[in-house]
This record gives sequence, C-alpha cells and structure tokens, in this order.
Amino acid sequence: MELKLTDLTKQFKEMTAVDGVSCTMESGVYGLLGVNGAGKTTLMRMLCTLITPTSGQIAWDGRDIFSMGEEYRRILGYLPQEFGFYPDFTVEDYLLYVASIKGLRPATARKRAGFLLKQVGLLKAKDQKMKKLSGGMKRRAGIAQAMLNDPRILILDEPTAGLDPTERIRFRNLISELSEDRIVLLSTHIVSDIEYIAGEILLMKDGRIVRQGTAEQLISSMPERVWSLTVTKAEAERCMRRYKVANMKTVHDGVELRILSETPPAVGSKSMGNGKEACRPVPEPATLEDVFLHYFGERTGEDHGLV
Amino acid sequence: MVWYEVKKVFGRASGRAALVVLLGLIVFTCYFAMETIWVDENGVTQKGRVAVTQLKKAQKAWAGPLDEQTIRRVIEENLRIVSTPEYLSGDVRQNEIAYGWGQGIRPIRDLLNVSYTDDMQHYDYYLANRLDPGMAGDFYANRTRLLKEWLAEGGSGAGQFSEAEKDYLIRKYEALETPVYYDYMEGWNQALNYFSTLCMILAMILGFLTAGIFANEFQWKSDAIFFSSAYGRDRAVAAKLKAGWLIVTGIYFASSILYSLIILGWYGFDGAACPLQASRAGWKCFYNLTNGQLYVLTVLAGYLGCLFLSLLTMFVAAKSRSAVVAVMMPVLLVFLPSFVGNLDVRFVQKILSLLPDRLLQLNMAVRYFDLFTIGGKVVGAVPLLAALYAALTFLLFPAVYADYRRKEIL
Repeated sequence: MELKLTDLTKQFKEMTAVDGVSCTMESGVYGLLGVNGAGKTTLMRMLCTLITPTSGQIAWDGRDIFSMGEEYRRILGYLPQEFGFYPDFTVEDYLLYVASIKGLRPATARKRAGFLLKQVGLLKAKDQKMKKLSGGMKRRAGIAQAMLNDPRILILDEPTAGLDPTERIRFRNLISELSEDRIVLLSTHIVSDIEYIAGEILLMKDGRIVRQGTAEQLISSMPERVWSLTVTKAEAERCMRRYKVANMKTVHDGVELRILSETPPAVGSKSMGNGKEACRPVPEPATLEDVFLHYFGERTGEDHGLV
Repeated sequence: MVWYEVKKVFGRASGRAALVVLLGLIVFTCYFAMETIWVDENGVTQKGRVAVTQLKKAQKAWAGPLDEQTIRRVIEENLRIVSTPEYLSGDVRQNEIAYGWGQGIRPIRDLLNVSYTDDMQHYDYYLANRLDPGMAGDFYANRTRLLKEWLAEGGSGAGQFSEAEKDYLIRKYEALETPVYYDYMEGWNQALNYFSTLCMILAMILGFLTAGIFANEFQWKSDAIFFSSAYGRDRAVAAKLKAGWLIVTGIYFASSILYSLIILGWYGFDGAACPLQASRAGWKCFYNLTNGQLYVLTVLAGYLGCLFLSLLTMFVAAKSRSAVVAVMMPVLLVFLPSFVGNLDVRFVQKILSLLPDRLLQLNMAVRYFDLFTIGGKVVGAVPLLAALYAALTFLLFPAVYADYRRKEIL
C-alpha cells in the first residue's frame, strides 16, 4: 500500500496552486496542514482524480492513478471541504445512492450503510431528509459516504470546519477509529485536530510541502524556541512588531506573551505601573501550534500577528 | 443508479409540481378540444355529449367513398338548404335551424369550397352555394388543376420551386387514390389540432425536469463525491442519460396516451382510415396519409422533438453546469420561430421548416409545401425532419456522455 506523489504540479493560468510536490504515503493518518490558499484542496482533488495535474505523477502501488481510472476510484473515499449532498434524499437514500455509484451491490450497500449509520451515530436519523440535518450530522453522513466502499485511501478535506467543539472531538475520534489499515489524508488549518490524530504531518505553504514528519520531529526541528513573559501593554505592542507572538493574554498586572525566538526576547526592564517590573522570559516547551506559527505566521509589522 | 437519478428529479417539490402543472394543462387542453356544438331542429345550440352524439349520427350518414354521385348529392342537399325560407329568413333563429340541417354535410361542403375555387390560396365560404350538381365530376380534377395553375408561369407559387420540385408536387397530388373514403372524423381532427399544444407544453415541462439531471451535482456541490466515485466517470453518467430518457419517454407517452384516450374516447375513433384529403384542412396536403397514420406520425415526431430538446437541454446543462441556462433551450427553440416566422424570405423559411418546433406540430408541418432537393432527389420536409433529428438525437447521447464524464472539479 503506497501512494506516491512525484514532482506534482498544478498550474491555473498564472497561478501555481501545487508546485512540485513529492512525497510517499503508506498506511496511517497523514495531516496536511497549511493556511487557506496553500494548495491543500487542489492537491487533494488531484488525488481524487477530480483535476489532472499539469505535470508530475501520482502512483498507487507503482501505477498511475489516472490510468487506473475506475479501479483506483474503487479504493478511494473522499469527503470534500464543501460537502454537497442531495437535499431531498433521506440519509439512508443518500448513502444507498452513493453506494450504487461506488459500485456496491444493493445487498452489500444496505448492510454497509446500516453499519456505518450506526458507527457515525445516525441510525435514528436515517429517515430524515439530508437538508434537515445539523452541520455536525451532515459531516457524519459525509464521513459515512466516504467509508461506504471501505476505501484504502481516505481523503478528508477540512472535515472539522464549522463544527462545534463537541462535534469536533467526536469527529476526530471517529476518524481515528476508521484509520486502521488504510491511508488517511486529512487537511485542516486547525492545528489541534492534526495533533491528536495524525501520525505524520505535511506542512504545505504556497503549493509546496515545506516540512514533513511526526509532531515531535516537527517540533524538535524548529530552530526557534518558545518563551513566555509578562509585559506592559506598550511593551506587548513592541514585542508583536519584533517577534512572532503565539499567544497574548491580558492579566491583572500586564500582558502575558508567548513568543517564538531563537534567543530570549529582549524586553526592557520597565515598571508595570503597579510597582512591579516586567519579568524575565521563561523558556516553554514548544507545541505544534508554535511550529505552525513558525512556518506560516508573520510578525504584526509584516502582516498577521497571531495564530 | 437510474432509480436514484429519477428520484433526484421527483424528490424535489419543483419536480412534483411540474407533474401537477402538466396534468392540469392536459385537462385544460382536453377541455378546449372537447368543445362541440350541435344545433337542433329548433335552432337551439346543444353542447356536451348530446352534441357529439348528434353530430356523429348526422355526419355518419354521409360516410362512404366520396365519389361523383356523393358530391352531387351534397351539392344538391346544400342547394336545397340554402333555398329554404329558414335559410333566407332575416330571423337568426330560422337561420340557425337551416344551419342545423347542414351539419351532416358540413365537412364535405367545406371540401367543395376548396375544390371549386379559382385560386388554391383563396377560400370562399359561400362558394358551395353557387355550385351546379353537374360540376360534381370535376371535384378531384380541380385539386390537381389548381396546383398546376398555382405552380405555372404567372401563378403565385411559380417562383418558389424548381422544376423538379413542381413535378414532385404534381406527381404526389396525382398519386392520391380517388375517390377518397369519407367518414365522421371529428375525433381525429380535434386530437390532431390540439396535439401541437400538448407537445409544446410537454417540451417545456420535460426540459424543466431534465435540466437538473446534469446540473444539480454542481449546484448542490455534490460533484466532487460523484466524480470521485468508482462509476462517476462512466456508468453513473450513463445512468443519468438513461434516467433522462426514461423521464422523457414515460411522461411523453403517458401524457399523449391519456390525451388521445380522452379526446378519441369523447368523439369516437371513427375516421382513422380516411385520407387527410377527406377534410378541408388536409385537402391541399401532398402527403398521402390517413388520419390514423398522421396521428401515429405526429405522436412519434412529437416524441422525437421532445427527446431531442430534452437531450439538448441536458447537453447545455452539462456544458454550462447551470439548469437555469439549460432550461432556456427548449423555450428558445420552440418559441423563437414564431417570432421570425413572419419574415417572407425564402432562405429563412427553409431554415424554419427544419427547426425542431416543426416536429412538435407535425399535423401542421404536413400542410406546408416545404421541399428540399438533396442529390437531385426531391424530398418533403417531414421525412427530412425525422431523419435529421433522429440523427442529431442519436449523436446527442454520446455527446452529453463524453462532455460530462470529462468534467474537472476545481
């Protein structure tokens, strides 16, 4: 089981959405992390044969997926970012229809749909029309349709976007349950989702994979260190211009900052106005969010300030 | 797959509403087509079932070969009626009584007006009142003579046809087997007259229903899942086409059978074997067909027209990814010719005679002198229309399939 991307490029007129991406995926959960517009969806759509690459190749066990056609799509499950459905179908009808276009026999489709409805917690809602479902229920119906054919490759584009925290946790757990013995590629810009379920993380920026590895590997490879300190409001503004600030929290005696910097942030020892002085920066253990900020964040003075 | 595609169309409230509207319009069309009057011996107008029964009885009395003897009898009977005090009276009620006596011979009397005219494009309602029974022998000869005069140098039809086309028309006229068999045929006349209305309604409704088949995936954003599924680029696309074909075929034939049964059930099936030329509307027609044959051809041509327009709608939907744009196609192709139809330019008229709206009103198309010369052979527009749109329809299936299956989802 090997999905290999070789120098994959997709160009739309003047814009290069995916730029020479090469990587190999084997069984496991892969998290594709990047800001909006990084090229994640385009990459995923190429993996789903929805778009043909401008150059490069995608191979499943050594065979070009576009030449495989139906044979490749039989082992593919896809939940797109904009999950469209047939509003007047019931949940069960929807799954049975998708099962039919996935090539499942009616009896198998019924069995499989019943099993998945139970697994995603939609058994009671199976006779409800799709348009009547809540956002979280729709997403669960979406993952169920992607799993109908028990795919070897499961591609989930921003599956937790728009879900409330409870639904997100539930959804993450569901993906973890389903990830056994298959390739799961999950794209998101929500770092915690990736942190919890992805074994391997691909950081994508401007159409390229800029870093790849486990969360620990990515964290340890980050050249910058993480510091926390409490400063005055005026000093906090100066820090935001000079450093990448991962977090900023107003406390009763000033502002608590989490800063990414190779060296301890140079903060003047100024009075906080309450008789206290700004404390010294304290080194903190880095998280995946800090890695995200390191690769994708910029200082306020340049563009965005915080993640 | 096909079942679910059909379900997508009728699962929507708009799909079901379209069916209700169609049913309502069929009933409405039938209501107008079933309107008959009968004037009784007291000059009182009767409607409904009584009118149909009486009219049928009166016209059936004249059923049989429309030979010289029958024509003479009709001329005599008409002359008798128009010389009665009731006909000549200034009192409307008396006139109505006289009109009532002539209801049995009315269709044949109408034929006299078109046969004995001086100009085949002229119609004089009172001409029959001036005929002499001795003229009965000219009844069929007049038809060909008038055509020849119209086509000859100085005739208004002279410049419209090549010599081969003129010869073709004359041969077709001469090929009519005479005497024609006449019978009561109100059912076929009315069913044919209103069938084009039904066909246009069907073309619009079917266009509306099928427009979504190839556009909804894009509209509902379910395209990515559809095209990334195993059959998303072959069998599922074919299932959409099959569903479209099933919807068009099922609804078209269910509607036309329902319509035909209502109209013919009301008036009776009599007159199916009568040639078109046995009624005033078909007298000048150069296609030698019976009412029954024309009805079958009209139904089949209407089906071909509706199927072509629906497939074109599906093709535009697949191309544009929009049901709104696609649904405009049947509207444009059916109604646009009505707007440009008044242009008296031969080239424009030639093109118009080959537009798909003619398929939807074949009962009218057979009455036009639309001819084409292909490879030295003269053919009427009707067989050409059938061949052309059968070929285009046949080509549209793979065209829609090929276009849709190659879609990229950006």
